[in-house]
Amino acid sequence: MTDETSNPTPSTASTPTSSGAVMSDATVAGGTGEPMITLTDVDKLFGDFQALKGINLVVGKQEVVVVIGPSGSGKSTLIRCVNHLEKHTSGTIIVDGTELTADIRNIQECRRECGMVFQSFNLFPHMTVLDNITLGPRRVRKKPKAQAEAEAMELLEMVKIPEQARKLPGALSGGQQQRVAIARALAMQPKVMLFDEPTSALDPEMVKEVLDAMQSLAESGMTMIVVTHEMGFARAVADRVAFMADGEIVEVGTPEHFFTNPQEERTKLFLSQIL
Amino acid sequence: MSDDFGAVSAQEEPLYGAPRLPEGGTGGVRAILRDNLFKDLKNSILTLLFGAVLAFIALRTLRYLFVTARWEIIYDGPLSFYMVGKDFGRTGISYEMLWAGIYVAMFTGGIAAGLGNRSAGPAMSLSARAAMIGGPLFGVVFILSMTRTITPTILTVGAVGFLLLGSQAARRVRGALKRRLGLIMLALVGLSFGFITGFDPSNIDLFGGLLLTLVVAFAGIGLSFPIGVVMALARRSSFPLIRPIAVGYIELIRGVPLISLLFMGQFAIGFMFPPGASIPGPIPRAIIMITLFSGAYVAEVVRGGLQSVPSGQIEAGKALGLSPLTITREIVLPQALRNSIPALIGQFISLLKDVSLLVIIGLQEMLGIIDVVLARREFTNQGYTPEAYAFVGAVYWTLCFSMSRAAQRLETRLGVGTR
Repeated sequence: MTDETSNPTPSTASTPTSSGAVMSDATVAGGTGEPMITLTDVDKLFGDFQALKGINLVVGKQEVVVVIGPSGSGKSTLIRCVNHLEKHTSGTIIVDGTELTADIRNIQECRRECGMVFQSFNLFPHMTVLDNITLGPRRVRKKPKAQAEAEAMELLEMVKIPEQARKLPGALSGGQQQRVAIARALAMQPKVMLFDEPTSALDPEMVKEVLDAMQSLAESGMTMIVVTHEMGFARAVADRVAFMADGEIVEVGTPEHFFTNPQEERTKLFLSQIL
Repeated sequence: MSDDFGAVSAQEEPLYGAPRLPEGGTGGVRAILRDNLFKDLKNSILTLLFGAVLAFIALRTLRYLFVTARWEIIYDGPLSFYMVGKDFGRTGISYEMLWAGIYVAMFTGGIAAGLGNRSAGPAMSLSARAAMIGGPLFGVVFILSMTRTITPTILTVGAVGFLLLGSQAARRVRGALKRRLGLIMLALVGLSFGFITGFDPSNIDLFGGLLLTLVVAFAGIGLSFPIGVVMALARRSSFPLIRPIAVGYIELIRGVPLISLLFMGQFAIGFMFPPGASIPGPIPRAIIMITLFSGAYVAEVVRGGLQSVPSGQIEAGKALGLSPLTITREIVLPQALRNSIPALIGQFISLLKDVSLLVIIGLQEMLGIIDVVLARREFTNQGYTPEAYAFVGAVYWTLCFSMSRAAQRLETRLGVGTR
């Protein structure tokens, strides 16, 4: 991706808005005001298809940003770029002061700071719940087994399933598996948590238990980027909501402004379709 | 096993038009017979016809086994030829030493079986257990019935005892010992090999019969497995030079018949060694070739297993910040190998049977030793051939069937096919 084509139109997200500041600037960090994740002019190409077009977004420490948008809009690609599961084509991504480069040590260092929760849980089916959670701390943080297991049990208490510790993931319900996945990501004591449609693969009655766990995590001051279709969660928990379409961030705003007074036509159309 | 049969018959029932048996079988034996075998005229005719054919075959087989067959070709063969070959005496290895090696091997196998006991799958039913033990037991009894003293039977029972001892030991070990169990087992395998070869590997060239078959088969399995795993990983590697080497090795070997590889091993392998170097004997050369051959197939089986692991598993490992090595070792390989077990065992059974091809390059494994026995004055040209081949066939069957049953047990224990 060359610089000439990377930003053909100025990103609508950074368009100056009216003095009422209905829409916040995507490049100004929320939360405590210090930036945790900074994306500048990030492009991502899959062959000829441009999945991300000049993304600019700053997520502040302790901020919860919920990313919504129609499928294929690049939401998942965006957060997968943040921990380098997808390699961005151009632009810069800075996580907690460290720029992401192609260097494997740098990538691993970044991933240790970014916990990730997947749509399909991706628990390791051949390991018990406890082993799933302790694998990262033991192998990466070199924690002794006893300490790692004690901490894992605390996390399981937090997501309210300590009694499942010795079972294999296959014996758990979807909601329980996803809560284990959250505990597994938290066990690395990350500074950021990335959620990639964490409730989309769940039966309806299990969605709430996962969202509750995420909400209590947000209230504890975790920095979070959440890709989701749960508008109720976005309203209640998000500090800012970002709307994406066609690989661009169309609009960013606080939940009340975003849902009650959207500025962009595409946002209005999307909200009218889902609400 | 009984579950499989149950599933099959349940599917086939509509074809015969027979109704499903009432739960609890209230009709008794007569009703069961009537409903399943003599439902109508056509059904009855088929039952009688196939019954007659089966009865005839069974009668002829039993008559051959117990009346007409002249088993003296086996027990006067002498039996030791079939078991250890005609030159075993020249190695100077005592039978005590050989049995010690077998016991150590059985103990090690028991440990491995006991480790598989960290059960993920459902417990085996009694009938499944009986089916698992029944076949191999029948084969072993048949082989032992050819012996003229009680000693081999006692020694065989002892070997089973060591197997059970090993599995109990595996369940009891804790702590540091358990963590080093892999190394301990490797040492035990080495010790077993040492005992069996009298601590001089060159003795292998004097082995024959079943002993040779087993040594070649287990060496081939033990060596081709790591080669296969490494090659499968190499074939998926993104490093520039590694992948073409793996692809070249696999495709080259798979494109050549094993027999031609065995001939190459006997006549052409010398070119690979520097001048003046001592070239291994014919049997190690055969082991090298069988290992290379099987390694290529194992690599493809394991590659299939690797592909069956969803990419989300690797992503989850990456997201935790694990190194590529840790992801491969802790996440991908355990799942890939578990999914490969059925095909791997098939490959290893095939390898065991391929050992019989050694007869073509003049080595006296079980099949080859038949010619030696038949050439003896008391047996030559007297039509003893069927008995000899029947016996060797029975020994091969016992080995392969045992392996297949052990694999089935492993699959059940590890819950292959269930997640």
